[in-house]
Amino acid sequence: MSFKTASEGYVRYQGLGNWAFVLHRLTGLGVILFLIIHVLDTAAVYFSPALYADAVSLYRSPVFGLGEILLVLSVIYHGLNGLRIIYFDMVNPNMWTIEVNRKSVIWTWVITLVLWLPAAVVMGSHILEHLGG
Amino acid sequence: MTTQTKQVEVPQGWEAFAWKWMRYSGVLIFILAWIHVLIQDILVGVYQIDINYVAGRWNGGFWRVYDFLLLFFAFSHGMNGTRQVLTDYIHSAGARRALNWILLILWAIVVVIGTIAIFAFTPPAA
Repeated sequence: MSFKTASEGYVRYQGLGNWAFVLHRLTGLGVILFLIIHVLDTAAVYFSPALYADAVSLYRSPVFGLGEILLVLSVIYHGLNGLRIIYFDMVNPNMWTIEVNRKSVIWTWVITLVLWLPAAVVMGSHILEHLGG
Repeated sequence: MTTQTKQVEVPQGWEAFAWKWMRYSGVLIFILAWIHVLIQDILVGVYQIDINYVAGRWNGGFWRVYDFLLLFFAFSHGMNGTRQVLTDYIHSAGARRALNWILLILWAIVVVIGTIAIFAFTPPAA
């Protein structure tokens, strides 16, 4: 197999490009950790409905609610940054330059926050509505 | 700065397959996972989700197949990603081989449990 790669100006282990890489890994690990738990708790609807009810009541606690808001941030960022990586790798490897990488990382975060903030408001208001009840 | 691209040869094999897998599955998961999160976490919310909600959702085949695809692709993507991260910190060939097997077995167990639940579930008698 052969594929194209940038021959110079490749992103280095510093700056915004490296932060994007580190955060891609951290958000990915966070999401997969939750996903393992989530598949098992949802499987309880079949294997043990009582256990499923317990799991859902745990997810309704405010602490898990805040965790869920961070989970959604992770999914949005990991997805957008992933698409960015896929586009660079598969479609246009010429974009793997420090400058283009830096700008695209900033845009990734702008779009991430624009999508996440309204989601966080909706989810946060759900938490507040159910506080103490 | 101008950059040019060059062709590099990489050996055909599992690692090349895994590299491509992360990208192709990533596009699919982007669609499947975002719709899932938008509906379940934001529009519906955990306070309206219980076993009756799941029963209604898994009433037909569409969402069962949808959830199975999401499970299969997201979980293989995530387990391989975990493998890539850990491989950067584990350097002995034996430990890497053990890691690959542990993650493969964990992957298979969770996918099998999830798949059984998705397709074997029948709504509780009302």
